[in-house]
Amino acid sequence: MLGLVLAGAPALPLDEAGKYVAGAYIVFVVLLVIYVAIMASKLARIERELREVAEVAEERSKEGAAAPGRGSETPSISGSLASHGSRGGGD
Amino acid sequence: MYGKGLKPLSIATVALLAVGLSLVFFYAPLDADQGFIQKIFYLHVPLAIVALVGFIVGGIFAIFHLRSGDSRWDAYSYVSIHISIIFGVAVLITGSIWAKASWGHWWVWDEPTLVSFLIVFLLYCTYYPFRYAIEDRERQARYASVFAVTAGAFVPLNFMAVRMAQSLVHPRVFATSTGGLPGSMMFTFLVCLAAFALLWVTLVKFELAAKSASGQVKRLRRALDAPSPGGRSRIAPEVS
Repeated sequence: MLGLVLAGAPALPLDEAGKYVAGAYIVFVVLLVIYVAIMASKLARIERELREVAEVAEERSKEGAAAPGRGSETPSISGSLASHGSRGGGD
Repeated sequence: MYGKGLKPLSIATVALLAVGLSLVFFYAPLDADQGFIQKIFYLHVPLAIVALVGFIVGGIFAIFHLRSGDSRWDAYSYVSIHISIIFGVAVLITGSIWAKASWGHWWVWDEPTLVSFLIVFLLYCTYYPFRYAIEDRERQARYASVFAVTAGAFVPLNFMAVRMAQSLVHPRVFATSTGGLPGSMMFTFLVCLAAFALLWVTLVKFELAAKSASGQVKRLRRALDAPSPGGRSRIAPEVS
């Protein structure tokens, strides 16, 4: 495939100029990849936080179903989150 | 909400970038003066135009925020400036590479175009510490909007001043009496400009979608009476 593309391409003067042009385009691609990686880590953090919140909500509904009259004795969400080892941070 | 239409937009961006890069290397003729080095033009100039327009767009969103008090406009303004700064980094690096290849120096301090872009870039770099320095979220958003409007107004003024200045080495290729770009180069340039503009829009939407998701999780935590692990973000506006 690459051979076909290169065969169809005009003769590119990839000497001294080529490395600068390649460098400029590589810089752009690298910046884009770094940005995508940062976004991926942000999304992973959001996913983790969402999972923790879902676990807490499920735990709460189970406890509520098991002891419907207890109400105020239900352990706090903060305590539950702490026991789940909640971490992360704002951006 | 912000993720809506993101998939087709991303596909269109990738397709247009691929078409643009194909035109750059397989269609646009070699420049008679600079030769192959001139290929950097199709990357560097559209990035610079999109970055500068992005700063102005950030200022326009800030005006909407100041008029309505709606924090969504503040988030749009913040994200527009954020993505434009990233584009600005790419402009400075690709410009330096082009300068080294073409003029033999990484940077030329007596060139108005280069120095003015650096001034605009550094001005916008102060946006983050300025925003971060204010604790109260409402005051933070209002002050950041005033900054964005003022700096946004500075961008076209700066551009006009540079345009009027006598350039030493930086070429002028648009709207000049001594001739502009030939048709094939102009077409390639316009496709690249559209591709980078679309990339900017896509990245802004991605950023807003991520901030929106993060804001929704924090709201959910608050609704469940659960403290956010890192508390409220001090620097980035929340999007609901």
